[in-house]
Amino acid sequence: MQRFIPARRVLSETKYSLRWQGRRCFSQVVQKEADNNDVVVPKMPPFDYSPPLYTGPSAEEILSKRKQYLSPSLFHFYNKPLNVVDGRMQYLFDETGRRYLDAFGGIATVCCGHCHPDVVDSIVNQTKRLQHSTVLYLNHAIADFAEALASKLPGNLKVVFFTNSGTEANELAMMIARLYTGCHDIISLRNAYHGNAAGTMGATAQSNWKFNIIQSGVHHALNPDPYRGDFGSEGEKYAKDVQDLIQFGTSGNVAGFISEAIQGVGGIIELAPGYLPAVYSTIKKAGGLCIADEVQAGFARTGSHFWAFEGHGVVPDIVTMAKGIGNGIPLGAVVTTPEIAEVLTRRCYFNTFGGNPVCTAAGLAVLNVIEKEKLQENAFVVGSYLKERLTALKDKYDLIGDVRGRGLMLGVELVTDHKLKTPAKLETLHVMDRMKEIGVLVGKGGFYGNVFRITPPLCFTKEDADFLVDAMDYTLAKM
Amino acid sequence: MAMLHRRILRRTVEEAKAKLNFNRNRTLFPCSSFSTVTSSSSAAAAASDEAPRQLPVFDYQPKPYNGPSADETLEKRKKFLGPSLFYYYQKPLNIVEGKMQYLFDENGRRYLDAFAGIVTVSCGHCHPEVLNAIMEQSKLLQHAPTVYLHHAIADFAEALASKMPGNLKVVYFVNSGSEANELAMLMARLYTGNLGMISLRNAYHGGSSNTIGLTALNTWKYPIPEGEIHHVVNPDPFHGVFGSDATRYAKDVQDHIDYGTSGKVAGFIAETIQGVGGAVELAPGYLKQVYDIVHKAGGVCIADEVQTGFGRTGSHYWGFETQGVIPDIVTMAKGIGNGLPLGAVVTTPEIANAMAQKLQFNTFGGNPVCSAGGLAVLQVLDKEKRQAHCADVGSHLIGRLRSLQDRHDIIGDVRGRGLMVGVELVTDRKEKTPAKAETAILFEKMRELGVLLGKGGLHGNVFRIKPPMCFTKDDADFLVDALDYAVSKL
Repeated sequence: MQRFIPARRVLSETKYSLRWQGRRCFSQVVQKEADNNDVVVPKMPPFDYSPPLYTGPSAEEILSKRKQYLSPSLFHFYNKPLNVVDGRMQYLFDETGRRYLDAFGGIATVCCGHCHPDVVDSIVNQTKRLQHSTVLYLNHAIADFAEALASKLPGNLKVVFFTNSGTEANELAMMIARLYTGCHDIISLRNAYHGNAAGTMGATAQSNWKFNIIQSGVHHALNPDPYRGDFGSEGEKYAKDVQDLIQFGTSGNVAGFISEAIQGVGGIIELAPGYLPAVYSTIKKAGGLCIADEVQAGFARTGSHFWAFEGHGVVPDIVTMAKGIGNGIPLGAVVTTPEIAEVLTRRCYFNTFGGNPVCTAAGLAVLNVIEKEKLQENAFVVGSYLKERLTALKDKYDLIGDVRGRGLMLGVELVTDHKLKTPAKLETLHVMDRMKEIGVLVGKGGFYGNVFRITPPLCFTKEDADFLVDAMDYTLAKM
Repeated sequence: MAMLHRRILRRTVEEAKAKLNFNRNRTLFPCSSFSTVTSSSSAAAAASDEAPRQLPVFDYQPKPYNGPSADETLEKRKKFLGPSLFYYYQKPLNIVEGKMQYLFDENGRRYLDAFAGIVTVSCGHCHPEVLNAIMEQSKLLQHAPTVYLHHAIADFAEALASKMPGNLKVVYFVNSGSEANELAMLMARLYTGNLGMISLRNAYHGGSSNTIGLTALNTWKYPIPEGEIHHVVNPDPFHGVFGSDATRYAKDVQDHIDYGTSGKVAGFIAETIQGVGGAVELAPGYLKQVYDIVHKAGGVCIADEVQTGFGRTGSHYWGFETQGVIPDIVTMAKGIGNGLPLGAVVTTPEIANAMAQKLQFNTFGGNPVCSAGGLAVLQVLDKEKRQAHCADVGSHLIGRLRSLQDRHDIIGDVRGRGLMVGVELVTDRKEKTPAKAETAILFEKMRELGVLLGKGGLHGNVFRIKPPMCFTKDDADFLVDALDYAVSKL
């Protein structure tokens, strides 16, 4: 494997020199017909960092141990799975020191960048002082972070519960809604993903993630999917399904409604405009609470807003978050109003690890980095640029059925037929693999596994975006 | 060395003084300050005339604290963390630093941590080797989901599996005990195809909406549907109606299956020593019988080792080993990472295969930092021979507490094993009436003396003593002396 030595050339020079000159080390250049200017394999933007030498177990050894000691339902990307050993900002390094552009962000989790110095510092400093004491005692870290987090939310959303994952956060949100309303029925969307415990598995609505166990009290509404949905982008038409569900499938009163503003696992599907305001209204009339799952789309990722729900002009009653909240540290949170939070005082709710000093210190550092480095703005600027380039690619290749998303939460859906929208599953796998060989790591999603999920660390640059698109272009051209 | 000599000398002097007081008071008149003391404990009162002077010596200075004060932090908590977030002590303690078995408040005052952040800090606060592993890995790569390979999760899984008996060798990593028990329940139902779960009254298995069903203490149970879960009679040697007769308790499980189910169940889950329930050790021989009954009914047996695991019981590495059984599924958390948010479920390949029919994924589970930390914990516990240490210090502690029990009527029961100990306070030894108010008072008093205990039991009248496993005999003595003094002053 080739070791990428960071070049100290000006970025723009790099880009153009690639396009218009040949590079001798890439001998497999294929001449495509017509006006294709991607004759050469694209080159990654330079990066001034060399990872330490890796002397640990090889990919084969690890894979063997995984098969022996870990869950058999564990899956991995790529025919030849990637052994990632080091990370820096928007790049990952494998065992040979080869650099990759991480366009998946560990599943929209690494928002500031791998091993961002400010976040690492906060973790190291707090770990040296006190890792764990529980909320039975006071510690300023949890309080400071809760305050900072609350200040990012609109309305009266200012009571925070810390958990250790998105699943825990959603489970708690669902329990709070059920307790607060005295009702059991919860409505979620088909194609949603909310977690893997029994309650959240009920809210999750894709058969590949649902085991054959009892999951009670959840109704799945028609998905307001602009690309595949029956009503296109007419949000209000989809909203009627929720009305019907309530009127015919429940007592008329529900516990609540939960949704992602942009479905992540479901394939970066942005809910049709006008949908959420209409549904929130319906749910409120039925006495229910509205839960916004910001596990993937939150924390400035959508660029236009800090929280994805803000892009739909609604204010939820409960917001759940995880993944990006700690740049990868195991942390989740539920934010709600004091009125709703009161419901948990009826008994004792406790989470041993939740809100521990180290994770909350990291969370606070993340918020500070997002602000200091204007990551939301970057997500907006680079994200729009990236989406533009991907859309141009869509015009070029029939295989690309749809390009969607917002900020740095983008999806590219591959289809073999534009009219029928037949999922191009195999092609997706192939392109994903080839892109990895070029040096770009993307994610995969959608019920059919035919959507590229592009959710990089928010420090992603325009040069990175170019590299990604060029790599995709190059790969598609060779198919 | 000189320090040690001084310590021994001081202890000897104290013992001598105590003996002197004892003798003096016996022959002269009872010490006036102990006016509420009954005749049986007058001798004891005399022995604890002096408050234990100070904690065992510890060569460490905490960093100066310049952060928000206790009051400021409490204000913010009330505003931003909700009214349901409770805390210990009338005047809550602002803990800012920890080292091994000690914690430090904002003024730099040192406390003996006899609760380990709820049985969580196993190696010791900021144990250098665990710290190192965490920091080194944090600088390399915090997060790499299992869609990529990384050696840390594989190495840790292998090491953990090597600690398990039988065919228990497939590991699932999660982020908490609740998540682990949720997963175990899912596995049980999937594997058996049956629905009903059984847990013990007084158990605690989690705070998430499904594990609330398994938990059987009303303090922690919100009024939500639990699904098919039943709670059987607790084999509690102290409060249980059958004392320590395991067979009679086991019959309740059989009865429930015979009358309350279709005859088939999904599984049974229990802690070997109930934690939140007040350090209640299951009657000996109970699990063997129940595991048999449950297996015959098609169910699997889950051992919740969230608190008892990793050598804490002293006699064995896992709590279930003390009952001579091998479960089908084992769940763990808390001590597994010395405080890192980490949990695990270990089961057999057979049961794991039942899960393989669908995708099961946990984004943070098994992340490089937590796996590295977890592996360091296993290594530290082995290297420092913590299990043997728990047995040694634990028996010393329990021995001294039992002597205390002989001298103070309020101590109804001393139980547990290794460094998982409970002291139950009662106002009436026959009725075993919970001494709730007294426990609360003593709890505060102990904090003032410098000892941080835990509290448990449905009535909150059990002191839970489950310190970091580096707790020493001197620490144990300090704790018992403090308790002796505090009780005498009641």
